[in-house]
Amino acid sequence: MAAKYVILPCNGLDKEAGCLARELALKMAAAMDGEIICPVLYQTAPSRYASLLQEGNLIVIDGCATRCASRIAANNNLKISRKITMAEEAKKRDYNPGPDWRLGAGAAAFVEDVWRSWQPVFMEQGAGRASEENTGLFAGPVEYAIHRHDKFIFRVPLEGFYFNENDCWVQVEGNRGRVGISDYLQQNLSDITFVTPPDPGTEVEQFGEMGTIESAKAVYELVSPVTGRVVAINEAVLEAPELINENPYEKGWIAELELTNFEADREFLLDGRRYLEVLKEKVADFNAGK
Amino acid sequence: MAETTFMGVPRDKITWAPVIDYTRCNYCLECAKFCPHQVYEIREEEPRLIVANPNNCVVFCRACAKTCGPDAISFPEKSRVLETIKALRQQEGGK
Repeated sequence: MAAKYVILPCNGLDKEAGCLARELALKMAAAMDGEIICPVLYQTAPSRYASLLQEGNLIVIDGCATRCASRIAANNNLKISRKITMAEEAKKRDYNPGPDWRLGAGAAAFVEDVWRSWQPVFMEQGAGRASEENTGLFAGPVEYAIHRHDKFIFRVPLEGFYFNENDCWVQVEGNRGRVGISDYLQQNLSDITFVTPPDPGTEVEQFGEMGTIESAKAVYELVSPVTGRVVAINEAVLEAPELINENPYEKGWIAELELTNFEADREFLLDGRRYLEVLKEKVADFNAGK
Repeated sequence: MAETTFMGVPRDKITWAPVIDYTRCNYCLECAKFCPHQVYEIREEEPRLIVANPNNCVVFCRACAKTCGPDAISFPEKSRVLETIKALRQQEGGK
């Protein structure tokens, strides 16, 4: 059964990416019997849309990396169900949006193609995501090291976890690895509002991009600590990204990979104790730079 | 402020830093406001924004580019930088 959708598009009419967001919103609303939220009116009179937002799943369509629509949602504590960024969709398709509001010649075909690729996601519940159950293979950390700085407490698991210097971790069991972000990074990002994991089946290289996480402050690219093939996604963090803030090492894991080159990857990773030292330096540097 | 090494390699030997396309940049300065590492410097004269401290840039971090509406920030290819780092580490190990 199709869910009812409420669509909050970008309102950036000074760029083609914004206009493309509007075009996609119109197409989606017509196809799914959805409702469109006007971002300007929403900011002026939010009560106008209160009941709609209570009833429906919110789809946010950003135009460019400014992410105005996402920011409106975050600033108003709206729970985002799905998110599409037209600039990223354009990159995937080698479509080059122009700098102004005029839609280029291929705009209609581009929007149609974007809609065609997303339609199954909205029409079929859970389509496009692996729904592998947690098999219990990955036990939570046995022991955490603690680093305190002012009112902040940073935790680092001491056993079974490996980190890169980009504050991402992998927990390894056999040929499987779970990845996520460190306590230091989640505290830096503050409240995480949205997670875009890699698609199952994606081949990822060590230090390659493995999805993004987004907070009210910024979008952060997850830098993979390992090489492998994505075999599962943590569905729970899609529904509740705040799990990463609550505990980034257990419920807040992001993806699971079949590792293909761990012995070589390990050479470039830090164990918990060494990462703790790096973390201490980062905290000291961060505060020195304030 | 800047980390002096990354993965055991001196930071100044790693060419990872943002490049600003001034034909696209609209000087909204979102990147400079976002970056906590003072990579960017805002100036009074043109260009109003420069990459003043490239070695402060966290290797493989591209977060500032994701704040850039006009898509004016680019970075070197990750795989090539990683190859360089691996080669430098081998050299260090081989000494």
